[in-house]
Amino acid sequence: MANENEITRRSFLSRSAVVGGAAILGGTAATSLAGCSSSSSSTGTTAAGSTPGVGTGTPVKGGNLTVGTLDEIDGFYAASNHWDTSGFLYANAVFDPLVVVGADGSFQPYLCESVTPNAAFDVWTLTLRPGVKFHDGTALTSTVLMNNYKALIASPLTGQALKQVANVSAPNESTFVYNLTAPNPTFPFALTSQLGYPFAQAMIDNSTKGGVNKPIGTGPFMFSSWEPNSHFTAVRNPNYWRSGLPYLDSITFRPIPDTSQREASLTSGALDMIESSDPGTIKRFENQSQYQLVDSRTGVIGEPTMAFIVLNCAKAPTSDLTIRQALAKATDQATIQKIFGAGFGQPVNGPFLPGSPYYTDSGYPTYDPSGAKDLVNKWKAANGGKAPAITLTTITDPRLAQVVQIIQQMWKQAGFEVAIQTIQQAQLVDNLVIGEFSAITAYQFGNVTPDLNYVWWSTTTVHPPGQISLNFPRNSDPVLESNMLTARSTTNTATRVAAYQTVDKQLAKDLPYLWLEQYLFSEVATMKVQNFNNLVLPNGQKGYSFDEGVFFPTQIWLNS
Amino acid sequence: MLKYLGKRFFQLVVVAFVISVLVFLLVRILPGSPAQVILGSSYTKEAAAQLNAQLGLNHSLIIQYWDWILNIFHGNFGQSYINNETVAHELATGAPIDLELIILSQIVAFAVSIPLALTTSRRPNRWFDNVSTTGTFGMLALPPFVIAPIMVAIFAVNLKWFPATGEVPFTQAPLTNLHDFILPSLAITAGSIAVYYRLLRSDLIATLQEDFITMARSKGLSNRTIMLRHAFRPSTFSLMAAAGINIGGLLAGTFIVEYLFAIPGLGYTLVVAVNQRDYLVVQGITLVVALAYVVLQFIIDFLFTVVDPRVIRE
Repeated sequence: MANENEITRRSFLSRSAVVGGAAILGGTAATSLAGCSSSSSSTGTTAAGSTPGVGTGTPVKGGNLTVGTLDEIDGFYAASNHWDTSGFLYANAVFDPLVVVGADGSFQPYLCESVTPNAAFDVWTLTLRPGVKFHDGTALTSTVLMNNYKALIASPLTGQALKQVANVSAPNESTFVYNLTAPNPTFPFALTSQLGYPFAQAMIDNSTKGGVNKPIGTGPFMFSSWEPNSHFTAVRNPNYWRSGLPYLDSITFRPIPDTSQREASLTSGALDMIESSDPGTIKRFENQSQYQLVDSRTGVIGEPTMAFIVLNCAKAPTSDLTIRQALAKATDQATIQKIFGAGFGQPVNGPFLPGSPYYTDSGYPTYDPSGAKDLVNKWKAANGGKAPAITLTTITDPRLAQVVQIIQQMWKQAGFEVAIQTIQQAQLVDNLVIGEFSAITAYQFGNVTPDLNYVWWSTTTVHPPGQISLNFPRNSDPVLESNMLTARSTTNTATRVAAYQTVDKQLAKDLPYLWLEQYLFSEVATMKVQNFNNLVLPNGQKGYSFDEGVFFPTQIWLNS
Repeated sequence: MLKYLGKRFFQLVVVAFVISVLVFLLVRILPGSPAQVILGSSYTKEAAAQLNAQLGLNHSLIIQYWDWILNIFHGNFGQSYINNETVAHELATGAPIDLELIILSQIVAFAVSIPLALTTSRRPNRWFDNVSTTGTFGMLALPPFVIAPIMVAIFAVNLKWFPATGEVPFTQAPLTNLHDFILPSLAITAGSIAVYYRLLRSDLIATLQEDFITMARSKGLSNRTIMLRHAFRPSTFSLMAAAGINIGGLLAGTFIVEYLFAIPGLGYTLVVAVNQRDYLVVQGITLVVALAYVVLQFIIDFLFTVVDPRVIRE
């Protein structure tokens, strides 16, 4: 079921959207609440018996790592480009985030030395590391961060995600302060997104001249060349602020959208490593002695990315709860997972999986074809006997085309008239945003903390069809709103958990989404690639190495 | 000769003008405003006004066309809205890939089809002719998207002789580049071989029935001389016409092979641009490819006059 292109242009927002927040939460509490890992490490296999992606022996300097990515990015400028999985892979090579996620799910300083809240959690102070320089030799200062902020807030794309910031200040060259409109103890997680990857002043200056395709960051690698849809190459930064790093001489990313071609390129030796969102990749490379596999079946911190169908709650007939209930009952999730999930599916009843403290028996409707028929008949009786007509929209992806055909049959059996509409990826995103759909395939919600989903589920982001709405289904539910605000405004773990469990149940009641399965990411590397799943932070702590298909190349080395 | 070529050139200019108008109207006939479509969810009134001014959409259509065509004559095709690269850059990086693919595939196609046709046309309907004809018929039935994965599975994944995807630029490492292009070229060669072989074979068989061939035989000329000096040239008319259309079709028409081998030629870039609604890139590539096609047909017309001067009289 996994499709590698969907919502890629906008999916960065799922990592960046943090709005509002309240009350008090200690650092330890933030750790325990934000990170809700379903296990301690990502699933992985290697015939050698060692942990896949964790280097053994002495690191070796040199060599070029070539990585096959899911797709091409649209650029390196955090203020205007849409970073998806591939975007963050590229970004982690040439930029550094201010904050990263630790292996325990906490936020950890990376490019900054410390991230400190005030007592009310509505003022966050960043202290920058001394001596950090951009690739053009200019220093990373709070003045540059201020100009970064101005560029981000001015952008219609990233500006929305910074609405919670009332203002910023730079008391001195190494201190940068975010003053929030309301307390938010998990605010630093927003800085793990493209809102927190500082870019040089030269990029800002060039942005009006269309010259932002040469990234200038502080990262372990420096821009060498980028031919869109061919390759992006970056070479070692000799002045990198992390002494002795990186190990590689250079890194090359090659976008290969077709999964089978990407896999063939790996097995033919043209690539050293690939990323994938096809569950079949896991099946094909699991237990293969020549390869290391890391995937997101377990080890996801917070919420995993989920595949689902969005139902338009502001447009007939899906605006009628009876119809949404009938569609949910008519959709056989288990069959879809069995056919398209390569055997890795598990029942999904909401955005949280078992193992998450927010997981609950949400009451999401189970497969009940006769119940679905009854509901459709009830609707028909109230609507002049005419069968409800649904247009199921998807993109031009062969696997998704098969999935929607099966769903079409399921819904038809329940009494719906179902037409399939196939559109381009870009149009799909626009249709979601402006509400031109009745049912549409999507994937989303892979976040280290559910607080980041506020923008997607809030009543404040609902607008009628025809207007831009980040609440794509246009599900305006005050119960959801109040519980999301409660969850973020309490220091009490039990209250927060209860609030998000209520959110989970409310989503199952409102049915803006028909859950299909967890969206599985994987990385496969040849045995010579070492340490791609072992991020060690500057403070010595372990980092979140495999975040929904994204890794850091800083500490990777190649064995001969 | 000059009059004939002049007439053809005039036709070329007229066709080029019509093409430029159609391509120009491509963005204008989009449902809704182009700015709305291009900006998508980033649409704001201010951004739309800025974009309209940038695209010159606030002027009349005639002025817009004039400005656009003037910019193109200055090499300014606009800029991608997706990655900010200039369209000229996209053309400069994509076109050499298509040209290399076409040149390599056509060299192989001619190198295989011509000797084969020369051999089999001398003794039609014998076993070698039957095998060749059946074989090429099979090749014609195998599209590149079938051949490519098979070749990748055999030569890249199993034998590891060639990379499954990607290429090193020719300017960086010429030999490696040629090595990388072998599989993609072969994937699009099969169809060309089949078409060229069958056309040339049937034309050669017809030519070999002509009186001047009988005369040549009666003079005691060798088969080799008859085939190469007397029969081949007048039999290449259909071959040249087919090659012209085929090569024109391969300009940006190799996108499936480029996609499968992850080679960003013009075709691949065009398909990606269409999917991303990157209209200026679509507009630029479409215009250049269409013009190249027209120019190619002009060259083929000229070559006809060289092969058979009677064309001018007709």
